[in-house]
Amino acid sequence: MRMRTVMRTKPGVVGLAAWLLAALVPVSRVPAGERADDRVAFSTDVVPVLTRLGCNGGGCHGKSTGQNGFRLSLLGYEPEFDHEALVGDDRGRRLLAASPESSLLLQKAVGSVPHGGGRRTVPGSESYQILERWMQQGMPGPRPDDPTVVALEVSPRQALFAADQSTQALQVTARLSDGRVQDVTRLAVYQSNDPEIAEVSETGEVRRQGRSGQMAVMVRYGDHVSLFEGTIPFRTPDARRLAELGESSAAVAGGEETGVARIDRLVARQWARLGVEPSPLTEEAEFVRRVTLDICGTLPTVAEVQAYVQDASPDKKRRLVDSLLARPEYARFFGQKWADILQNRGRGYSTSRQRPGTALFSAWIRDCFARNLPYDQFVTSILTASGSQETNPATVWYRTVRTTENYVESFSQAFLGVRVQCAQCHHHPAERWSQGDYYGLAAVFGRVGRKGGFADAEVPTSETIYLADHGEVKHPRTGEVLAPRPLGGEAFPISKYVDPRVSLARWLTDPANPQLARTMANRMWAHFLGRGVIHPVDDSRSTNPPSNPELLDALTHEFQQSGYDIQQLIRLICLSRAYGLSSLPTDGNRGDLQSYARFYPRRLSAEVLLDAISQVVEVPTAFSAGGAAFPEGTRAIDLPDEAVPSNFLDVFGRPARSSACECERVDSPALGQMLELVSSAEIQEKLANPQGLPQRLAKSPASQSERVRELFVTLFARSPSTEELATASEFLEGNTDPAEAYRSLVWSLLATNEFLFNH
Amino acid sequence: MAREHLEELPGSPASAAGTERPLVHGLTAPGRFSRRRLLELGAPALGLGLADVLRLRAEANPAPAAGGTGAKRHRAVIVFWTHGGMSQQDTVDLKPEAPSEYRGNYRPIDTVVPGVQVTEKWPRIARVMDRLSVVRSVQHENGIHAPSAHWMQTGVFGPTLARNAPQKPSFGSVIARTLGAGAPQMPPYVAIPKAEAFGYQGGVYLGAAYNPFEVNADPNSKEFRVPNLALPKGLEVESVQSRARLLKKFDTLRRDVDASGVLAGLDTFKTQALDMVTGEAVKKAFDLSTESDSLRDRYGRHLYGQSALLARRLVEAGSTCVTINTGYWDHHDNIYTGLEEQLVPLDHAMATLVEDLDDRGMLDDVVIYSAGEFGRTPLINGHAGRDHWSNCFSVILGGGGLAGGRLVGASEPWGGKVRERPTTPQDVLATLYHALGIPLDTHFNDASGRPTSIVGAGQPIHELG
Repeated sequence: MRMRTVMRTKPGVVGLAAWLLAALVPVSRVPAGERADDRVAFSTDVVPVLTRLGCNGGGCHGKSTGQNGFRLSLLGYEPEFDHEALVGDDRGRRLLAASPESSLLLQKAVGSVPHGGGRRTVPGSESYQILERWMQQGMPGPRPDDPTVVALEVSPRQALFAADQSTQALQVTARLSDGRVQDVTRLAVYQSNDPEIAEVSETGEVRRQGRSGQMAVMVRYGDHVSLFEGTIPFRTPDARRLAELGESSAAVAGGEETGVARIDRLVARQWARLGVEPSPLTEEAEFVRRVTLDICGTLPTVAEVQAYVQDASPDKKRRLVDSLLARPEYARFFGQKWADILQNRGRGYSTSRQRPGTALFSAWIRDCFARNLPYDQFVTSILTASGSQETNPATVWYRTVRTTENYVESFSQAFLGVRVQCAQCHHHPAERWSQGDYYGLAAVFGRVGRKGGFADAEVPTSETIYLADHGEVKHPRTGEVLAPRPLGGEAFPISKYVDPRVSLARWLTDPANPQLARTMANRMWAHFLGRGVIHPVDDSRSTNPPSNPELLDALTHEFQQSGYDIQQLIRLICLSRAYGLSSLPTDGNRGDLQSYARFYPRRLSAEVLLDAISQVVEVPTAFSAGGAAFPEGTRAIDLPDEAVPSNFLDVFGRPARSSACECERVDSPALGQMLELVSSAEIQEKLANPQGLPQRLAKSPASQSERVRELFVTLFARSPSTEELATASEFLEGNTDPAEAYRSLVWSLLATNEFLFNH
Repeated sequence: MAREHLEELPGSPASAAGTERPLVHGLTAPGRFSRRRLLELGAPALGLGLADVLRLRAEANPAPAAGGTGAKRHRAVIVFWTHGGMSQQDTVDLKPEAPSEYRGNYRPIDTVVPGVQVTEKWPRIARVMDRLSVVRSVQHENGIHAPSAHWMQTGVFGPTLARNAPQKPSFGSVIARTLGAGAPQMPPYVAIPKAEAFGYQGGVYLGAAYNPFEVNADPNSKEFRVPNLALPKGLEVESVQSRARLLKKFDTLRRDVDASGVLAGLDTFKTQALDMVTGEAVKKAFDLSTESDSLRDRYGRHLYGQSALLARRLVEAGSTCVTINTGYWDHHDNIYTGLEEQLVPLDHAMATLVEDLDDRGMLDDVVIYSAGEFGRTPLINGHAGRDHWSNCFSVILGGGGLAGGRLVGASEPWGGKVRERPTTPQDVLATLYHALGIPLDTHFNDASGRPTSIVGAGQPIHELG
């Protein structure tokens, strides 16, 4: 064995020098063919150890500034860089071929010298031995003929835990390019996506915790990731029921089963599989409130609730959904949701001419929903838009999103449900996306040109979007000019006469490519059911599996088959059994958060809540922006952009439209929200308005109990209980000022969770 | 640190100046010995931290303030945000030897710390410079208000002219998220009179819950009342109380319908909001009228002075980060007209805050930080103003255990670039977080799920340790 320590070398030369040393001075390299497996390969052996020990994590040496002068590439995606970093140690003690155990690398790793990261392993562990052998072999760097990992496999890939089963051991194998198959169970890194359901140990043992449900373990080895999916049933699955419901969607897919029946069966199959009992169907009145809020962003009126409850016809549910889809509020509410996703921003441009463009784009989106433009055409219109905001309002997306990087990220997140941001700077740590994928997609947008506009205070606006003749995008590391290429697709031909955006739209809407339909189907399911089959809706990746893949496939299939008919998709979802369930948990489904065994309530969103308050109190909100008032009766769901001032909307989480992420709309509770309800002038003025509901009720000739009943149906879509009626009556009678008494009563009902939530 | 430093210098010019400083409860004492005097008088003893003061308060008035402060010290920061960019060369990094077009109008004056000088407009701050330090070598690479404000508020460059949306949470939001409030009914993060206009003082992906609570009123105005805290016209406390009682009876939706925590959170905040409005504790914290006229005068009867006094009351009651937005310092034209109006009030406000915190035994737990998005050009322009300058500017830090009386880093002889010890905005934030006891390896997931460090490569300024 050859002994040497690495010389002091300037970074940059090191890689080459080390490579030359490794290549020209055969250290302990064995002749090819003989004991090839004894040689430690840098990329496939050493780097995974650094990943496993956490050395190259984003919180440690893997961050862009390194840690205490030692920097590695994040999660080892650049082995050449890592080799340079390791051998380029200017004190020459980081690596010692003669006595690896005295090298700083191993001493730090085992904590025998002070190490900010603490002890990462113990002498003699598999990881330790690999680093030791690698040093003994002369610290060879990555070489062109090194084997690479071609596949990573986890066994088992899925497991259904038996009632008395508390653990499940995983075995991980890496298939290498030279044909070898290595057991890397002890070298891989494991991460549970739901530690409340099951944890995973460093050795790949999955151990169930308190909760039941579905979980996944992401397994990482080198630059590969793989997945284990575990199901921990609530009760032992009912085999007979499962058999009745079909083993897979394919079993019945060919038959006459379509639409709602198929969705219901696939959801029920999941319940059977998990041993969960669904809650019963909800009350009819609650259903009207729920579906009106979800389709129209609006509370139903007393008359609407009563009409539905009294309707005895068997198809009344379908007719209710149809009538809601035909209302203008549907287009306004969904138009606003999409203006959020498409980042139609007004803020920062108050002095410019952007605001008209923002309003034009908002109106354009709303019209698309009103005339039920098929979703593929909607997306195509935006992606391929050229012209000015006046001639083609869809061009505003290219102005408001603005940079090539943001086009890539917003496009991916909005239409493919993929977060590709990571890949701008490094390989995506939990997906296959590389920098090449990122910049290939960037090349699609490289020729988007902007001209004209008003160069006022900050941003030139009212620009014309056009396709420039040139606009190449280079790989930031290799400098290679990249052909426009969609994520996971084939490169588009480069031609001056072909708009790569048109190619992208074609690829996106190709029937053979379900990703667009799947993302939309999942987004809409999440809108109505409170949680996506893939959750969050815009974080689709191989390591974030759908909770019910067959359900998502069926929704996608139905949506594609309907010609991307959004209203048809909404009908399908709203008429499904899962959507109609009560939100009250039962003993049979307590703890269920993923299988839709009950309706998951959520707080009304900012705009919907403000409109609901205005509606029930019978006092509209006055909105104005830039010194001009919106027409009387303008509702919060009608507002064109996020910059129309409203403290109420801000504190209740109106999104800032700075990214395509639906997570921007926050429903997290805040003190300011409740102060807004308790003591804002806005709410108090609404309650005290002479035309408002409290004053009207105070003067009403109707009996006290009739008035209280009206109040409850208006707010909650239900009658008061005897007890509630008594409480309210007692309060009203004990008060000398009836108007003030009604103001207090109305307020105390507005502030209940029953009002604040859709349930 | 500040305290040891202070005790070593009993005969320093501050006490020599012999100002009789009015104290709480109408006591007066020579400034330097105020705490000792308080000790003799049985007031909160030397060494009592803010948490102790809070705890004592809570015990004396158990109804609202009792809560989880326990023995843990409540640390806090009070920020003077000089939006628009205050001139370093006219305040804490003067260049008396430079030609007049660099030097400007103001002469430096000595402070209590030998070798440390400040502008002649700051005689009061000069007397407390043993408890404040100046970092003279802060730099970043942008010269435009919005991106620079983002840089200083969050530690990173982010927005551009084309896309000026906030991208990272402000340090105030990070502090609110990591430390919470020292008393459950207090808002952890407060902006006086309101948050800066770009939105860079917000929580971004930490959530709206960590945006600053905006006072939305001028604490110096006679009718000072906090909207949503003071009740609006026509709403009496009795009404709110009866509404609260009714709400309790009607708010019966089963709590187990929501497993996401939103409902539980709303329940907590409902109670808190009702307590804030109907109870006395929070209103008292915002009520400046209980302060003596003499102390209010010392702080100064202007926005800065009364804001600083309010900030002290808020951290005392449990707030953790209070940012005073001191208006606009963007003096491109006639800089001395602007500075004449702003420097004197800032002198009163900041100096009195230092003394007042010290008198109350709170200075070791409360950091004082003054900064803007950048400084101003060393050369006076053709309009008698100075323009944006991020190549080298100053921030002021003190309290919270940070060393006082230090000068860290240096600029070139006539201003301009950093001569010694370049310091990044992230270093400044790391210093703040470190002083507040926030681990520097704290990460939060951004909107894409990526774990993002609160300080990146920032390192605490060890000279202030």
